[in-house]
Amino acid sequence: MGDIRQSLLPRDVLSAAKELLYHLDIYICNLVQSGRQPPQVDSKTLELVEEFILHAPKDRNTPARRMSALQELQLLEIMCSCFQEQSRDTVRQLMFSALFNLQGNQADESRMALLGKLVSMAIAVGRVPILECAATWLQRTHRVYCVRLAQVLVDDYCSMVPGSVPTLQNIHSASPRFCCQFITAVTTLYDLTSEELTPPLELLQMIVSWIQDDPRLVLITFLNTPLSGSQPISSLDVTPLGGLVRWCIKAPLVYRKDKKQALMNGSEESEPEAGPLFSALHLSVLQVFMLLPNILNEKGLYGRLALLQMESLAALTSDLSRLLDQADKHTHTSSADTHALSQLALDRLAQALQVAMASGALLCSREDLRAICSRLPHNNLLQLVLSGPVMYYNNIHTPPLAFSPHAAHSPIASHPTLPTHPTIPTHPTIPTHPTLPTHPAHTPHTPLATHPSSHPQYSAQPFMTGMPFPFRPSH
Amino acid sequence: MSAQKDCEFLVKRARELVSDDPCAAKAWLITARTLYPTDFNIQYEMYIIERNAQRTASAGRLLYDMFINFTDQPIVWREISVITAALRSDSQDKHAQFLRGLFETLPGRVQCEMLLKATEQCFNTLEKAEMLLLLLKRFPESVVQHGVNLGETLLEAEASENVETPVNCFRKLFVCDVLPLVINNMDMRLPASLMQKYMLKAAEFYIGYVTRGPSPDVQIQGSQEGGTLKSPTVSRGSQRYVIDGLSEKSSMVAEPWERLLDILGVVGARCEWQGDKGQRSYVDMLQRVKELCRYLPGLEGDTRSRCCSQVVICAALVLFRSAFLYVSAVQPALFQGVNALSSGPWILVEDLSSVYSDVELERGAVKHAHKKRKLADGREKTMSSDDEEGLGKGRGRHILVNKTDMPIWSETLESFRTARESWDLLHSHDGLESEFKKICATWKTDSWLWFRIFLTDMIIFQGQYRKALSSLHQMAAVQQPQPGQQSPSGQASLEHHRALIQQASCHYALGEYRMACEKLLDVVGGLVPPSQEPTKAPEDQGRVKTKSRKGNDLRLLPCTSKAVLPFCLQLMLACFKLRAFTDNRDDLSLGHVVVLLQHDWPQGEMLFLKAVDKICQQGSFQYENFFNYVTNIDMLEEFAYLRTPEGGRIQLELLPNQGMLIKHHTVTRGITKGVKEDFRLAMERQVSRCGENLLSVLHRFCINEKIIIIQSLP
Repeated sequence: MGDIRQSLLPRDVLSAAKELLYHLDIYICNLVQSGRQPPQVDSKTLELVEEFILHAPKDRNTPARRMSALQELQLLEIMCSCFQEQSRDTVRQLMFSALFNLQGNQADESRMALLGKLVSMAIAVGRVPILECAATWLQRTHRVYCVRLAQVLVDDYCSMVPGSVPTLQNIHSASPRFCCQFITAVTTLYDLTSEELTPPLELLQMIVSWIQDDPRLVLITFLNTPLSGSQPISSLDVTPLGGLVRWCIKAPLVYRKDKKQALMNGSEESEPEAGPLFSALHLSVLQVFMLLPNILNEKGLYGRLALLQMESLAALTSDLSRLLDQADKHTHTSSADTHALSQLALDRLAQALQVAMASGALLCSREDLRAICSRLPHNNLLQLVLSGPVMYYNNIHTPPLAFSPHAAHSPIASHPTLPTHPTIPTHPTIPTHPTLPTHPAHTPHTPLATHPSSHPQYSAQPFMTGMPFPFRPSH
Repeated sequence: MSAQKDCEFLVKRARELVSDDPCAAKAWLITARTLYPTDFNIQYEMYIIERNAQRTASAGRLLYDMFINFTDQPIVWREISVITAALRSDSQDKHAQFLRGLFETLPGRVQCEMLLKATEQCFNTLEKAEMLLLLLKRFPESVVQHGVNLGETLLEAEASENVETPVNCFRKLFVCDVLPLVINNMDMRLPASLMQKYMLKAAEFYIGYVTRGPSPDVQIQGSQEGGTLKSPTVSRGSQRYVIDGLSEKSSMVAEPWERLLDILGVVGARCEWQGDKGQRSYVDMLQRVKELCRYLPGLEGDTRSRCCSQVVICAALVLFRSAFLYVSAVQPALFQGVNALSSGPWILVEDLSSVYSDVELERGAVKHAHKKRKLADGREKTMSSDDEEGLGKGRGRHILVNKTDMPIWSETLESFRTARESWDLLHSHDGLESEFKKICATWKTDSWLWFRIFLTDMIIFQGQYRKALSSLHQMAAVQQPQPGQQSPSGQASLEHHRALIQQASCHYALGEYRMACEKLLDVVGGLVPPSQEPTKAPEDQGRVKTKSRKGNDLRLLPCTSKAVLPFCLQLMLACFKLRAFTDNRDDLSLGHVVVLLQHDWPQGEMLFLKAVDKICQQGSFQYENFFNYVTNIDMLEEFAYLRTPEGGRIQLELLPNQGMLIKHHTVTRGITKGVKEDFRLAMERQVSRCGENLLSVLHRFCINEKIIIIQSLP
């Protein structure tokens, strides 16, 4: 395809770009038809894209060709219809990759800029094929760039043009895959470490309403990905769950600060309150966890794939402990208020840990949890979760049944016997108490010892490895 | 430090949060459930939150979980009984609707189990039946197992609870809900006898339902219109009706006759009845069984009895339906749900529109008819009683009715005819008659007032006046107005009038004129004469005018003052007419005739001239009430003329006690002159009375002269 360069050079920028897109389309169609596996766009072609579409300088001597804003808009329109008209997914996908896969060169900057504009436009005019391609791009690209794309979209739709949020709102019905990846990118972007990294309220509201409408939305990428274990390194998480959990847990401490600042600035805006939104979001996240056991079982992944990473939770707990310290130090208003918000954060942490563990999204022992939570202040629920449920059932009405998850029509279908966790083979089945060495008097109450044969299936279930824990909540 | 304490702690936290932050409360409970999946209270609390927020789907799922995992919990059962109660009720309140929606979210298998278990725990027959019915309706396969049992339970309950009427809650459930399920289920084989038993149960219910009387608590208001008899003006369509034990909505039965026909169709098909499979209409049905009847004598054994049953059931249903349609037009106030606005009650009486025609002609006609009838009867069979002489079985009789007063006249007469035909069919054969009588005995049709009204009208139509009279007497005894009743002048007296007029008409037809007038004058005493004479409508557009039928026809007369008073006058005229024009002199009768002929003047002109002829022949005429009741100017002129030399110098004694006066004054000449003067003055005064309301004059005549009138008849 390199031979067409000569014919492109004399043309003006727009028609050259048009021409190249046209040839690219034909080239990729042929490529797919030839059946070569995997279809690979050659480097010559990629160079042509950089020269005539992204307008990266070919070498230092030739000056970069530039497009006017109007020409650029026209080019974007052409690209939009080009993707819209191409009926074959493979061709479309290869084309998108040829244009926007990062090559680690100078052209990447203009590539990102053009991508941002194209996706933004696709959202505005509802070009589903482009959103689908972008969703794939968000799965394969380094998270740093994914976050940049998300930033562009948030700026375009939440900051720049007031009232354009509803347009963005539509993406969840146009392309749920893109929507899911967008949420993941946004939760990665806004990690609540600073004011800039706090999601705008409109965005938060939108995400909450998406997930409330359809909790499975956040699992779309996960459900559609074969999970061969070939996730590109440093790509986004396969679900936004980790990011959402982080939001909900940190929110009571972070948003409180914001509010106080707003009050001091005297700007009394009638914005919706963040509190109820996060409360709803947190519930939705827990409900998504509850969907997981069935899905994981169907995929044969129960106990083998951790959707929440221990490391990121460890980072979260240490973040949280730092925030709590700060809250204690900088508290100017009532300390009761601060205390309540701290407890809310800890309650949510405890709930997320417990439910994630019970649903197989988090693969670790209570012992591991105690380790990462050791520096956190006292919270009744957290202690209950860290110690696990009491194991005698004689005072509960019926013999233990496996927990019946969401599925309404097979509530008794118990989880299959859970093997050990091959992904974390090191964690001990019978926990020792490394973090709490001061209570040797308690003989470990091990389920394996008490119910060795009658309920073998419980032995490996993480939350069943209960034991007497000295700091049980004082009800 | 026990699991239970943990659970209590978790539930308590959720409860604290639920009002301010329901999401947080739910998050707590989800967490709690993963910690203690077997704890009932946690799940119940989750359910309660969803239920209180009226979220059908999630509440349903949680209820399902509880039903499966905590079957022994009394709380679960309490909840289920609340839901099944909502399913049975027809309450439209939001909560009941929510509970019904909740039930709908459950999988069918669970619904089925839930209903069965709820039924087991239920001890009230009606509730239990309703519950089981929910099950049968939703799960047709359960009909085979439970259908007939449920039906029999309901019929047993009906029997043991001593309910007064077939229109009761048990029968309603049986007929309207259980029976269609049972007979339409092709997996079941039911013996024909059982099917027929059920069929009759259904028929009894539907007929009872359709012919139910108005609710006693509905106030019956007298009409404001002065000219009519008091008639209920309440719109019956709006009346509420509740079967004891049922809600208002489930007490409603739409299209009862159609439902009955549906059941009959299915039962007929399943009992292998002859003829068309689908019963298209009641009228078609009668035609079919009529044809079938012809083969009946040739049939034997099972075929015969099956055929008999078919004919009797079908003909009986047609009979009761047509009789009902007839009576609901004639006596709408008897029934609830029949629109009484259309017209008040109607009375089937002898048609007297030919009363003004010539006596000789008519007398001849009647005699002639008499002879002919006797001859015909002689050929057929000897009549068992004297009153059947008159007009035999009513062949060739017509019923006249004013079409503008009764818009549905043709349907009404058609129903009357169909009902009579069905009756005749049912009595055309001993086998049929005995089966029909069995049905009547079971249903106690003797106590159905409306049906007796039909029967009475039917025997009047057949000319069996003596029987009709005894039937009317019986009815009058049943309906004797209670002294303390709330509206003595309303419904009851209307009924009373109706019966009296019909009795009078019968007596008249039997030639018992004195009895006829006695009854009539009782009625007239209670009437209020119309304040002004009705503008003459073109007389009876609806009447079929065939001269030859005179004296043979019947008429449906509206039971209103406006119609009744003229009828009474006509009937009295008819009574006196024959007597007045006999060869014997009867001035009193002739005088009454003259008074009565004023009504509808100049219809009776010919008869009046005949009376004048008779007076001329007699040469004298004595009627002391003349100046009290004769105000017709034509008549006054005629009488004034009679006294003149040109008129023939007829000696008229028309003033009260004039006879005495004349005798007294014969001694002196000139006194006759004084008499003449009196007469002239009376005439002059009378002429000034010409403008008086004639109907009030005649009404006064009836009331004041009642005794004389009656005594002047044999």
